[in-house]
Amino acid sequence: MASAEILPLLRGELPYCKGCGHGQAARALSQALEATGLPTEQLCLVSDIGCVGLIDALLPTLHTVHTTHGRSTAFAQGLHMADAVLHGGRTKVIVVIGDGGATIGLLHLVAAAQANVDVTVVLHNNHLYGMTGGQGSGMTPADWITTTTRGGNPFPPLDMMGILRASGATHLGRYVATDPRLPEHLRAAIEHPGFACVEVLELCTAFGVKFNAMNARKLKDLAELTGQPLGELATPARPSFAEAWRQHAPAPAPPRPFQPIAPTGTAALDRPLRLVVAGTAGEGVQTAASLLAQAAVGQGLFATRKNDNLVTQGSGYSLSEVVLSPEVVHFTGIGVPDLVIATSQDGLKRTAKAVAAMGAGGLVIVDEGLDGLPGTAARVLRLPLRKLAGARSAALAGLALALKETGAFAPAHLLAQARTSLGEGGAAAVSAVEAWVGA
Amino acid sequence: MSPTPAPTPLPPASRPRRALATGCEMIARAAMDVGCRYFAGYPITPASQIFEVMTRELPERGGLASSAPDEISALAWCLGASIRGVPSMTATSGPGWALMVESVGYAVMTETPVVIAMVQRLGPSTGAATGGAQGDVGMVSQAVSGGYTIPVLAASTAQEAYEETLRAFEIAERLRTPVVLLADKEVASTTEVVEPDRLPAPPALLRPTFSGPGTYRPYAFGAPGEVPAFAPAGGPHKVTVTGSAHDFDGHLRKDDPEVLAVLRHLEQKIAGAEASLGRLDLDGAGADTLVLSFGVSSRASREAVAQARAEGRAVAMGNLRTLFPVPRTALVAALDGVRRVVVVEENMGGQYAQVLAPLLGDRQLVRVNGLGKLIAPAEIRHGIG
Repeated sequence: MASAEILPLLRGELPYCKGCGHGQAARALSQALEATGLPTEQLCLVSDIGCVGLIDALLPTLHTVHTTHGRSTAFAQGLHMADAVLHGGRTKVIVVIGDGGATIGLLHLVAAAQANVDVTVVLHNNHLYGMTGGQGSGMTPADWITTTTRGGNPFPPLDMMGILRASGATHLGRYVATDPRLPEHLRAAIEHPGFACVEVLELCTAFGVKFNAMNARKLKDLAELTGQPLGELATPARPSFAEAWRQHAPAPAPPRPFQPIAPTGTAALDRPLRLVVAGTAGEGVQTAASLLAQAAVGQGLFATRKNDNLVTQGSGYSLSEVVLSPEVVHFTGIGVPDLVIATSQDGLKRTAKAVAAMGAGGLVIVDEGLDGLPGTAARVLRLPLRKLAGARSAALAGLALALKETGAFAPAHLLAQARTSLGEGGAAAVSAVEAWVGA
Repeated sequence: MSPTPAPTPLPPASRPRRALATGCEMIARAAMDVGCRYFAGYPITPASQIFEVMTRELPERGGLASSAPDEISALAWCLGASIRGVPSMTATSGPGWALMVESVGYAVMTETPVVIAMVQRLGPSTGAATGGAQGDVGMVSQAVSGGYTIPVLAASTAQEAYEETLRAFEIAERLRTPVVLLADKEVASTTEVVEPDRLPAPPALLRPTFSGPGTYRPYAFGAPGEVPAFAPAGGPHKVTVTGSAHDFDGHLRKDDPEVLAVLRHLEQKIAGAEASLGRLDLDGAGADTLVLSFGVSSRASREAVAQARAEGRAVAMGNLRTLFPVPRTALVAALDGVRRVVVVEENMGGQYAQVLAPLLGDRQLVRVNGLGKLIAPAEIRHGIG
């Protein structure tokens, strides 16, 4: 084939049907790539499924990545982002897809446009699925006959350029495959430093022409009629992904070290203590449990902590399950707890079943204002936790008192941890708790 | 017999340095320490914390982290970055894994390294986001069309989560394969004690790489099971990557013996490495009963085994750190002299027990399973008999 001499990138005989726009688009893409003057090792062609996906074998000197249907834009985006940030941005990434790939991978196109990655998508729109037998696609014009729309397509075609413009693409154009200036348009798209998409309107000679009496002229008219005009679409300029990353990436920093917990002494606790502290989301329950675990580790104990709350995060109950032990904690389940602290109605409701199951050795600490405490064999302390420490430190007060009551370790270690971690904002509450438990 | 003295904490001077961390935090830390340079994710309970840490800290350490619009994109972005030569990772749970499966197969076919932390939660579909489970053993091990083995590792503690993440990257890069770190909600989300000075040093990531001379053949291997050399798309050697059945050069071929050789090789390189990939932490020898477990259920199993031993039973405990390829070599050694095997896993019916059954011969297999709650040591103790 003569094209091999004229077009050094495009090799071998084109496998497409006579008159298929894929061949014209492939030639135009080859010319456009040559015109950029970029060495082939800096060009990466990402393609996927369908007749259009045969392109990688036709441009064999480029890097080629042949992917799964519709995903090429996503693979291309990952490749570009890694190249741009971690390899100095030396690679130009070009995606070749059809209208089928565009609908399967619609979100990938939208995401690439939004991130304005330097990826050029050449969308070969032949208005139907050719390779699989002429079925209708999301970009089939209204009333077109395909093998799956025998009575005419009931829907208008997706305006992919419109979708991508709304998604933030910075270079868009729509042209017919026979446009003699297609190579220039493609070159401009490839050289554009952000996301570019060129929609190439084609006709599938096997199905599109056969069923719909189409030709190139009618194709142009159709574009106008459907409100998807030819030419370059106006797009706003904005930073490319690489520029935006440079603006927003954090300053380099060394790896964040572990924050080992300094030993503060040795706890008296000689067996596992399984406890639940429960209250209302936003009232510092999980924070208090975290402080307890840290203080316990300072005392030489092992600790596990699990949080639970409603999916909404900021409403309803919030609780932590904590196991403290002088030995490594393997099983983190609580079963029937040794200790329950409930600081609010939400928390009590959530722990009521556990409280009811507790035996004589157990301890329950609840705020004095709560209703609905179930009958229990455990020792119960009803205390003014909220009044004393404020709603946000009631859990801390309950835990401090629990340490005193169980003798696990001195509450002063918990309060010292709280003082350090909560800073000035928590100082008053910590002092109040301190005075109250006599720490 | 005198009563066992009550345990006491180590005195401060002899305590190792200790910190508190979740499994998720340890997975993210290990990934960064071992040389992960790209992470893409989409938030999903209970894996979100990995995503949060990676987006916060990986860029500080010179890497790149991205928020993808869905899990399909997240894994595809990772694979694009890996094809560029960058060690990459994502993290998800069952619903996200379901979306990623297509690209898992692509990674197998294209021999593209990637690590996927798969943090299991409860139930099919959306399931219970904050419910723990170990019900996705079958889902991850049977994900690839054609029945290909992908390495699947497991961790039962935050410390092990660190170690297995290191290993996941080492294996992914060396064997050019996706590797799944099959974590679970309990281990991933529970804060517990870690001892930083007892963490292993990160291994070197050794992706076999072509450096010339001659023409690069992207899928050419010598002996079966040998891993083809990698070259990055965008580098000096022309690269052909394809998810289609291909020959040594990456060309789509039909009815070509080389294509079938490649298809066999993809399995052989993993299955053939079973002995070196297999890791079974065995505690106790010469016992007639072996408890096998992994992830969160290993924790309860350890307590049950300790209790049984205290009662005079000879019981060994095997914590599986490699689930796939099935660590036959280690298991066969561990099964020597064993008459009863107790397999503990938090799912219905015992997904991994089913995998192990053919290895057990005439030994008695006892399954201890659970759904929607932690398996308690007492249940396992009962299974030990």
